[in-house]
Amino acid sequence: MIDRLHRVGRGAFQLLQKPLSRAFDSEQNPLNYLGALTIYFCWIVLISGIWLLIFFRTSVSAAFGSVEYLTNEQWYLGGIMRSLHRYASDAAIITILLHVIKEFVFNRYRLNRWFNWVTGVPLVWIIFPLGITGYWLVWDELAQYVAISTAELLDSIPIFTDSMAGNFMSDDVLSDRFFTLMAFLHLIGLPIFLVFGIWLHIFRLNGPRINPPRRMMAAALLAMLVLSVIYPAISHEKANLAIAPQALRLDWFYLHVFPLIQRWSPGSVWILLVGISVVLTIAPWAPPARKTTVAVVDLDNCNGCRRCADDCPFGAIEMVLRSDGTNYTHQAEVDDELCISCGICVGACPTATPFRSRSALVPGIDLPNRSAADIRQDIVDQAVATSNEPRVMVFGCRDDRQTEIVRKSGANVVTVRCMAHLQPSYLDFVLSRDKADGVMLLGCEDGNCNYRLGAVWTEARIARERDPRLRKRTDTSRIAMGWLAPWSNISDPAKKLDAFRTSLPNKDDEV
Amino acid sequence: MKLLGEVLAWACFVAVVGLLSVWPRYDTIQEDQAIITVTFSHAANRIGECRTLTQEDLNKLPPNMRKPTECPRERHTVRIELRSGDSVLYAEVLAPSGIWSDGKSNIYRRVIVPARTHDLFVGMNDSGGERGFDFEKSKRTEISPGQNLVVRFDEQLRQFTIQ
Repeated sequence: MIDRLHRVGRGAFQLLQKPLSRAFDSEQNPLNYLGALTIYFCWIVLISGIWLLIFFRTSVSAAFGSVEYLTNEQWYLGGIMRSLHRYASDAAIITILLHVIKEFVFNRYRLNRWFNWVTGVPLVWIIFPLGITGYWLVWDELAQYVAISTAELLDSIPIFTDSMAGNFMSDDVLSDRFFTLMAFLHLIGLPIFLVFGIWLHIFRLNGPRINPPRRMMAAALLAMLVLSVIYPAISHEKANLAIAPQALRLDWFYLHVFPLIQRWSPGSVWILLVGISVVLTIAPWAPPARKTTVAVVDLDNCNGCRRCADDCPFGAIEMVLRSDGTNYTHQAEVDDELCISCGICVGACPTATPFRSRSALVPGIDLPNRSAADIRQDIVDQAVATSNEPRVMVFGCRDDRQTEIVRKSGANVVTVRCMAHLQPSYLDFVLSRDKADGVMLLGCEDGNCNYRLGAVWTEARIARERDPRLRKRTDTSRIAMGWLAPWSNISDPAKKLDAFRTSLPNKDDEV
Repeated sequence: MKLLGEVLAWACFVAVVGLLSVWPRYDTIQEDQAIITVTFSHAANRIGECRTLTQEDLNKLPPNMRKPTECPRERHTVRIELRSGDSVLYAEVLAPSGIWSDGKSNIYRRVIVPARTHDLFVGMNDSGGERGFDFEKSKRTEISPGQNLVVRFDEQLRQFTIQ
C-alpha cells in the first residue's frame, strides 16, 4: 500500500522533475535544494522584515498608515521590501510543500530519518502562525478578517474564559497592547522558535546543506525582485470593525484554512489540522520500514583513523576510546539506531581495499550483507562474463532504476548500496588488473542521493581531494561518472554507456 | 537555450507565487448581505439559594473555613435566542465555563443576514427556566450591506445593546 503510494507519488513528482531537469543542470536545479531554498527564502524574509520594522508603528491607529507609507511614499525601497517580504514567505511555502512531498515519495522519512521528518512537523506549525500574524499587523480589511477568524479558531479551544473574537467588535475595545503582542509574536517569539526548530531539524545530519548555490540564490532573488516590481503587494482598505469585509484577496499560501472556518466550523478545522499533523508524525512508522543489517566494526582491522565517522551522512559513527588494549587511541562505534546501511563508511575505510591478498578482505568497517569481499567477487565474476568491446564495468547504486536499465541493456554491472560505498581502490583494481577497459559509475545526482552525500564524496575521492583518494596511477580518462536522478527516465543511461565506450582510448595506442 | 529554460522556470515559479498570493478572490459574504454578531460573556444565576449556616454547622468546620453562608458553586446554563421577525437566526444553550461549572458562559456567534430592515428580538434566560427570558430586547433596525451589527449584553446596565 505505502509502496504503491510512493510509486504513484514519484510518477507525479516526475511531471515536475522532468521539465526542470531539462531546464537546469543538476547543481542548479531548485528541486535538488528544496530545504536550502526554504532557508534562503527565510533569509530574504528576515532582511526585508528588518527594513519594514524600522518604519512600522505598533498601534491600532498608526499601523495601517505606516504600512501605507512604506507601500506608496517609499515604494522604491519600502514597497519593494514589503513585496519581497510577502513573496519570499509565499515561495517558502511552495518549497516546503515540495520538500515534504519529495522526501515522502522517495521514502526518505523512515528508519533513522524519522527524526528529521518528525521535527519538520512543528516547523510547519511555526511557519503558518508566523505568516498569519504578519497579515494581522497590516491592519487592513484582510487583517480584520484574519484576526476575527483566528480568534474564532482559538475560541473553540475550551481553555479560554472569555471570547477572544469578542475583542474585535468595535475599535474602542481594541487596544494598542494587542498590536504589541502581535508584533512580539511575529518579530521575536515565533522567529526564535523557527530558528531553534530548523537547527533541531538538521542537527543530526552530517554536513547539512543550508545554502543553495550562489547562482541559484541570485536567480531566486532576482525572480522575487522582478515580481515585486511588476506586481507589488498592496493593502486592502483600512480595517473598520463596524463593517464586515466582503471581497478579499486572500493569500492562499497562508490563509487557505480561513474559508474553511466559515464553511465548516472551527472545531472541524482543528480536527483537520491536528489530524494532518498526527498522520505526518506517525508516517515513519506506518508501516515501519524493514531495518537492514547495520555496519559492523572489525577491531582487528580498525586503526581509529575516523574517516568513516567523517563521511557518514547521518552521524551514525562515533569515535570512542579503544577497548581492545592495542596502541591505537580510538575505535569506530556504530549507532544501530542511526545507521541506514548505506556503506559510505566502507567506502571511506582505507582497509577496504580489494588488493589484499595475504589476509581475507575484512575491512575495519563493513556491511555484513554486502561486504567488501562480495563486491570484489562480483567484479571478478563480471570480468569473465561476456561483454561488448571495449569492456566497461558499470557500478550502480542498488536503489537506482538507472542501474536496472543498464543491466537489461547487457552491460556488466556490479551494484553497491551507494556509489560512495565503493572505495576508490576498487576502480584501480578493475583497471590495473585488467578486469575491464573502463569503469562507469552510475549514481544518483547530488541533491537526489538517497544517502545524501554519495555523489559528493565519490567525486571528491576520485578527484583525489578527499581520503581515501584514487591512486595517481589510475587513468581517470577510463572512469566515467553518470550522475542521474533516481527513478527517472529523463536520460537514457544505456546511451551514456555507449558514448563512454566510444570515447575510451584504445589500450594498444597507449602502449 | 539552457539559460532560457532557467528563466522560464523561474518565471513560472514567481507567476504561481504572485497569482496564488491574491487569487482567486474570496467573498466572505455576498454584496447584499450583512452580519449580526452576538458576543458577550455572562455569568448565569447559581443553581440554588445560599444557605445561612447554623452555629452547629460552623463548629463542624475548621476555623479558617467558617463562612456565615454556604452557596452552591454551579451556575445555570444560559439560553439565548436571536430572532428576526418570526424566524430564529440563532438559538443556543450554553454551559458555564470552568471545571466546577461556576464560570461565565461565553457567547460568540456570527449570523449572515440579508441587508434590509429587520425586526430584531434577542432574549436570554439565565435562571434555568425552559420557557421565557429573563432579559430581552426588541429593535427595528435597518441593516446596510456589509454592516457588522453587534448584539451585546451590558453587565452594568443589565440589558442588551444592539448597535
